[in-house]
Amino acid sequence: MPSPALLVAIPLTVAALLSGLRRLLPRRCADLLSILTALGNLVLASLWTLHALHRTQAYWFGNWYPRGSMVLGIGFVMGPAGCGLATLAALLTTLALLYSWRDLDSGGGHYHPLMLIFLAAMSGFVLTADLFNLFVFFELMSVAAFALCGLKTREPAPLAGAFNFAVTNTVAAFLVLTGIALLYAVTGALNLAQIGQELGGRHDRLVLAAFTFLITGFLVKAAAFPFHFWLPDAHAVAPTPVCVLFSGIMVQLGLFGAMRVSATIFHGSLAPTGLHDLFVVSGAVTAVWGAMMCFAEHHLKRLLAFSTVSHTGLMTLAFGLGVRNGLTGLFLYLTGHALVKAGLFFAAGILLHRFRSVSEPALHGRGKILPWTCMLWFLGGLGLAGAPAFLLASGEARITGAAPWAETVFLLAGVVTGAAVLRAGLRIFLGLGDAGPVDRSSQVDELPETTDAAHTIHWHLYLPACICMGGAVVLSFWAAFTNGVFSASRGFLDFPAYAHVVYSGAILLPQRIAPSFSHTAPLLQALVRALLALGLAFWAVVHLRLPRWLRWPSHLEGSMRPIRALQSGHPGDYVAWLTVGCATVGAAAFWLVR
Amino acid sequence: MLAHYPYFIAAWVFLCGLYGIVRSRHLVHTVISLAILQTSTYILLLAIGFRKGGYAPIFADIHPGVVTVDPVVQALMLTDVVVEATVVALLLAMVVKAYEKGGTTSPDDLRYMRG
Amino acid sequence: MTERHRLLLFLAGACGLAVLYLAGIRNLPPWGQYRGPYGDVIAQLAVFQRHATDTVNAITYDYRGFDTLGEEFILFSAVTGVMLLLRPEDGQTSRAGGEKNPASFRDRAALSETVQVLASGVFGFSVLFGVYIGTHGQLTPGGGFQGGVIIAAAPMLLYIAENTEAFRRIVSHPVTEALEAAGAAAYALIGLAALACGAPFLTNVLPLGRTGDVLSSGTIALISACVGVEVAAAFLLLIWEYLREILARAGNAEA
Repeated sequence: MPSPALLVAIPLTVAALLSGLRRLLPRRCADLLSILTALGNLVLASLWTLHALHRTQAYWFGNWYPRGSMVLGIGFVMGPAGCGLATLAALLTTLALLYSWRDLDSGGGHYHPLMLIFLAAMSGFVLTADLFNLFVFFELMSVAAFALCGLKTREPAPLAGAFNFAVTNTVAAFLVLTGIALLYAVTGALNLAQIGQELGGRHDRLVLAAFTFLITGFLVKAAAFPFHFWLPDAHAVAPTPVCVLFSGIMVQLGLFGAMRVSATIFHGSLAPTGLHDLFVVSGAVTAVWGAMMCFAEHHLKRLLAFSTVSHTGLMTLAFGLGVRNGLTGLFLYLTGHALVKAGLFFAAGILLHRFRSVSEPALHGRGKILPWTCMLWFLGGLGLAGAPAFLLASGEARITGAAPWAETVFLLAGVVTGAAVLRAGLRIFLGLGDAGPVDRSSQVDELPETTDAAHTIHWHLYLPACICMGGAVVLSFWAAFTNGVFSASRGFLDFPAYAHVVYSGAILLPQRIAPSFSHTAPLLQALVRALLALGLAFWAVVHLRLPRWLRWPSHLEGSMRPIRALQSGHPGDYVAWLTVGCATVGAAAFWLVR
Repeated sequence: MLAHYPYFIAAWVFLCGLYGIVRSRHLVHTVISLAILQTSTYILLLAIGFRKGGYAPIFADIHPGVVTVDPVVQALMLTDVVVEATVVALLLAMVVKAYEKGGTTSPDDLRYMRG
Repeated sequence: MTERHRLLLFLAGACGLAVLYLAGIRNLPPWGQYRGPYGDVIAQLAVFQRHATDTVNAITYDYRGFDTLGEEFILFSAVTGVMLLLRPEDGQTSRAGGEKNPASFRDRAALSETVQVLASGVFGFSVLFGVYIGTHGQLTPGGGFQGGVIIAAAPMLLYIAENTEAFRRIVSHPVTEALEAAGAAAYALIGLAALACGAPFLTNVLPLGRTGDVLSSGTIALISACVGVEVAAAFLLLIWEYLREILARAGNAEA
């Protein structure tokens, strides 16, 4: 098997090369090289995922394998969950680079190196077994993301969004570093397995403080409430392929960081003490808040951004529940959401390319000439709602199978976000009903990002979206995929196995078959969700034509105004919320372990 | 209690940085407050690695085996400093560009993202 | 949110955060009593295993060299981001940094000859000092990052000495960008070279030499030099991007 270091080293080297030669290389060459590199990552990561499913092994950089109980260097643990996420990251990056072929404004040749660096950072983040290395890749991911947000700089609005994104995420990164410092002081180690063993089941004040700082930092990246304010701002200003990566994988990697740290360092204090309920509550609140804000939006990218907030909240909820019940559903949901959300963003990008706008009122009825995009958009909306035959529904079925009360949260979030997307689709592609309210955020003019003057939609804009939607449907029927995810999720929470891999080099995993369960009840629920979402979307579009008693309650719009005003665009507000959120997480942690 | 006073300083600097970001009226002030927040982690890291009576971990003129302070936190701090400098540089470039395009450096005037 | 509300919200949160942080600090070992084994183990091993007397740099470029690769690329991405943000827009290319030197308006200000002579004289010494610091990283405090920053500061002395044409020629030359990319790529390539030798990525595969020599400790010295080149070029690019942006506007204002 080729070395896993290539997953990080090759994209970084090619990025440096592309950057140094940017004035000499023609655009097509840069496109081709970057797509090939991402494709190489995809192939290598897939090979490693298949290998990891029956043998998880460790890889030590600089050949610094552990001496006795002392870990001297930095290592990768090639487990199925990490390798699977690296594959997903590589897939989305390849599709995003394919989408950017030729037409996307590359900012003087800086776009391709930054995308490759972003890919390298994500790959390193999911595989590393060292806490400080986790922080370094977290920062590399963040800085590449901030830089990519700077592509559209001709208006002040993109800069405000990028600035808010950068300030909030940097504060989060240094919260993480504070937590790392506290843990280092008491354990004297930086390897996840070693720290986990040193701490054992300890949950005194210092461990809880470190837990709070680490989890808060990662939840900021995961856009949990009240740390989510940066996400819609960043999405409104980043170019489409970058938004695909943000919503498809970067935000979920924030959650993955929290999960990885909880499952290794805090393994002794998580399940026994009820600390995982923190994730349950945070996830539920985020899901509902995100869904509400999503439905109130009329700027397509911000709408999708809020739906990402909501769905990542559902994933956080799934993690909290899954600490005791298994994480299969979570990983299925994550993959499904990544593919469906990527497809939706690609479709929004097609609209932006063709009509130079992503505002729902401005696009009313104009999408009638784009049947393929219409189909993709509606499939995406149904997928988000949790319709049957999409991966999200299979994931949800497994999550709520063990905790029926969570069904309500999934129902609410899925239906409302799906309805928002479907409502936009009904207005834009079918021209139904009125054009919708024109509010300030939908007037944030989305700058054109492509240079094609004829606005023709070439095949390379459609293909990534089709692959994504098709993938989400196909994977939901593929049993081997579900079995693989089941093995991965069993291994993720198994700390003794993780420590064994770190200290002894490798471990063999038994082949597992995912437990099957009755499909009729979840199928019915999925159908109900899809129908409710469609119904809600129709109602929102035609309600003004209905008799007065069937109309949308008029005071709803007014009562949403103060909630929407919280999304103020002022970095000071966001950091104030971050502080309050951090203190709340700390208080909750102390209260849960009392 | 007194034995922990450098850590209290780190906590205080962290909170000062946060206060600066929240109360800032000028974008450059926000960025510098962020830099101050980042310096709190240096203080914390270096204080954690200190050992009274320890020499610097440079064995050019002392014999290996002499009690030294922790070199690992110093290496971590080096990484930390580079990260801070680069993020501050990037943020300041955003501020410069925002001033050029919007004519203002006040966070209040840049609320284009209001929901 | 009004300023007052924001402040109140923040203070509520900050009180909680302060209590949390202080509660955590109370359980730390007392200051000055570092206990952990990691640092001590490496301090005792580094000289024998890697023939490097500067343990901090041995950690930075060898034991935890993979971290430093990521950190170097953080610098690289940030500089790329600055170049992306401050890139000249269509119609501006000829004005900024092309034929006309935007810093030339500085040459019209009168400056004391003492400053000019001193700055020009110290330039050479600065570069030499930077090279010294950069190449002795494995022996004494220093290394690539520190040396690179010192070298990058040297052309600023030329700018202060009003030799703005020389300053512009040094920092805006395409070779600077190429050197930055080469330095970054070299770090990854050194790691890949270890792979080619059959060892894991970033293993120290070069001969370790004699402790105390400049050419010792294998790849630590080599990586340190590459990092020095990259950091110097990166900071020069950063300085140039800022100056070009601001001076172009100041030059226009004066003209």
